[in-house]
Amino acid sequence: MNVYNWDNYVAHETVADFEKLHQCQVRYGIYASAEEMLAKVISGNSGWDVVFPSNSFIGPMRELGLLLQLQKDRLPNLSNLETRFQAPEWDRTLDWCVPYMHSATGILYSRTAPIAPRAWADLWSDAYRRRVTMLDDPAEVFGACLKRLGRSVNAVDENTLQAARDLAIQQKPFLRAYLSEQVRDQIAAGDVLAAQMWAQVAQVVIDAAPQLAFSFPAEGFALYADNICILQESRHQELAYEWVNYLLEPKVAATIAEEISGATANAQARALLPERLRHNPVLYPSDEVLARGEWFRPLPAKAQQLRDRYWTEIKSA
Amino acid sequence: MTTVRLPRLFLLPSQWLLGATVLAPLLVIAIYSLLTRGAYGGVTGPTTLGSYGRVFQPIYLYILWRSIWVAALSTVLCLILAFPLAFYIARAARNRTLLLNLVMLPFWTSFLVRTYAWMFLLRDTGLLNTTLQRLGLIHVPIPLLFNVGAVVLGLVYGYLPFMILPLYATLEKLDPSLLEAALDLGATPASAIWRVAVPLSRPGILAGCALVFIPCLGAYLTPDLMGGGKTVMIGNLVQNQFTNARDWPFGAALSLVFLGLSGLVAVGLQRRGDQLL
Amino acid sequence: MRRFLPVYAKAIYAFLYLPLFTLSVFSFNNSKLALWSGFTTAWYGRLWSDRVLLEGTINSLVIAIVASSIATVAGTLAGYALWKRRSLWVTNALYLSLITPEIVTGVSLLALFQFLFHFLHWQLGLGSVILAHSGFCLAYAVIVVLARLRTLDPALEEAAADLGANDWEAFRYVTLPLLLPAVLAAGLLCFTVSFDDYVITSLVAGVDSETLPMVVYSMARKGVNPEVNAISVLITGGLGLLILLAGKLEGSSESSR
Repeated sequence: MNVYNWDNYVAHETVADFEKLHQCQVRYGIYASAEEMLAKVISGNSGWDVVFPSNSFIGPMRELGLLLQLQKDRLPNLSNLETRFQAPEWDRTLDWCVPYMHSATGILYSRTAPIAPRAWADLWSDAYRRRVTMLDDPAEVFGACLKRLGRSVNAVDENTLQAARDLAIQQKPFLRAYLSEQVRDQIAAGDVLAAQMWAQVAQVVIDAAPQLAFSFPAEGFALYADNICILQESRHQELAYEWVNYLLEPKVAATIAEEISGATANAQARALLPERLRHNPVLYPSDEVLARGEWFRPLPAKAQQLRDRYWTEIKSA
Repeated sequence: MTTVRLPRLFLLPSQWLLGATVLAPLLVIAIYSLLTRGAYGGVTGPTTLGSYGRVFQPIYLYILWRSIWVAALSTVLCLILAFPLAFYIARAARNRTLLLNLVMLPFWTSFLVRTYAWMFLLRDTGLLNTTLQRLGLIHVPIPLLFNVGAVVLGLVYGYLPFMILPLYATLEKLDPSLLEAALDLGATPASAIWRVAVPLSRPGILAGCALVFIPCLGAYLTPDLMGGGKTVMIGNLVQNQFTNARDWPFGAALSLVFLGLSGLVAVGLQRRGDQLL
Repeated sequence: MRRFLPVYAKAIYAFLYLPLFTLSVFSFNNSKLALWSGFTTAWYGRLWSDRVLLEGTINSLVIAIVASSIATVAGTLAGYALWKRRSLWVTNALYLSLITPEIVTGVSLLALFQFLFHFLHWQLGLGSVILAHSGFCLAYAVIVVLARLRTLDPALEEAAADLGANDWEAFRYVTLPLLLPAVLAAGLLCFTVSFDDYVITSLVAGVDSETLPMVVYSMARKGVNPEVNAISVLITGGLGLLILLAGKLEGSSESSR
């Protein structure tokens, strides 16, 4: 069986244990971007059996006929999922995917910074001049700007997107760089004081550099979930079902979540985690905080085209 | 009769390889550029010229212009750095292969890993800035990273071997007695190199410049990481269409226009009688 | 000049090895970030049990060796042929392969392969990667070889012909020996380009052909990764030793002459 996943998304022994348990060979490939994965599997004869797309990819991949409709009676461990992931908004009945890990976008900052950022608006402040970075990702930069404008991260109309673009251009004099996870060394070293960052990555950095902290911006923020999916083309469906079910086992899921410092969607697994992780406010924010979060949705073609042109304008401004 | 046959035979493998990996895919791209973007990426009908219309907007032309001068600057710097070294290796009494291999060795590590190493060296709390501060030469860290200078540095470092190798290949052939003759006739060593070695190694210089200039023009990772995503180059633009924006027709049109422009440079080179290929 | 050049050469070598030096220091770093927090060799220990990594390294070596051999041989022959007789469409196709941005080459090859394989019921794999690599390495080989050929005197082959050599003999015994340094340089360049390629490979690779750069990219996507640094040190260290050894042999054979 062939599993295609992000790097560092299972524990060291997860695959080997599964092979022993089921007397099989698992080829575990890793990809560096969701687009790379999609470009591969879009042909329908890539050879992969199981992939891990994030929530906004589920709808498109289903419509392209890439995903296998799950027979839920073959996945008894589904009931281990947290209630809010039993019927997520991208797949209300879990017919196509099984939520795996979740995260959110917020601000990773140094406690030595002049002010503690509580809102996206703080990243436009003089206190952080040239010491702040935003993610190198149009969806995230627009997401933050749209939230500042009090709009949805999934807004599609031209005027709103234009206003968001103008806001992003205003921020450029304050910015050090557009940088994704690679900023972690610089923020740990103190070059950068605040960075737009994903919660899960932030937790890993905070573990290594305790002077850092994470905040969920007041105006609202984007939520993410990665999901386990079996591909329509899979030639090893039997094993693929076993694999999905295996990943849903509380013990297995807990080992993974502990080793990678991730936020599991599995309630039973979370209960097994050590205290430090189980009630970690970065990984598992309270319901009150979560209420400000919003899931990304697939963007219609026209809005995507518009956003992309604005993104080019922002970056070369 | 026989003088025609051998070259024809020798060309066969390359013709097949080029047909399969260059021409056929190019045809695919040409077709893509005329189609419409699918709802979730990919391409669908109907055919349109719309993607080409979008290429000629001022913002994209500005990015193209900037890419050209960044790539040109990097190429010139590469040439200046590489020529004396290639000359030194070519003239070395022994161990020439070793010296050449030592040039390539650092490039057998991942591009990404080398770029991270540079980011560590250049950042505010990096090796260079802290060393300069310890020495008392500066008091505030100088911004070395996340600007055009850093992008050029990254490109020069990344493509230096592409300049050194072809230069070496031609300089190695240079007859040393020519240089000695120039020296005997009273030329200084520098002017002997400038007036004898440089003109005679012209094919190598051209080959090296093309090998550096072209990939620099299409670079995207260096501007992203060393430039902090603030210096958009044509490579980023194309890359973005095929990944994040998932707009394959526009990406295809952009790359065909880009190919056309680079083709003009190549044709210009041939007109001047300086052949690369 | 005689004093200046060696100093200059050392400075350039220092420039080339500076990043390599820093990353090897960080391969012994206790922390996962680029902040020094104590010495450890743990990352090296972890490498041996990392199956994905080992498989990737083997795949990369196989691909780079096969593809650079194909490209160097085809490129040397083509370079020679072009030197003898121009062929406009081959020249232009080579130019095209050079100036096409990697991502475009990758996406178009992927689209082509996916289209063809759909009918042939093949899958992407080692074969498709080697084909792609041979393709984009070819132009590099031709350029390096041609640059050398242009400095050769065509009269040499004519002289050989006058002495009764046929075309093949003239190539084999007169031109090819003179070309060897360029062939070596071309092979080296092709190997390097192939071994380090990520963009095209990641698009045309299949289930059985994840390469080292692909693994490294996925692992280092988030930033400095000491385990990746450790691999880099091992690879450059291992290849470096080989190079030094080969250099020793070459040096001793030169001095015994």
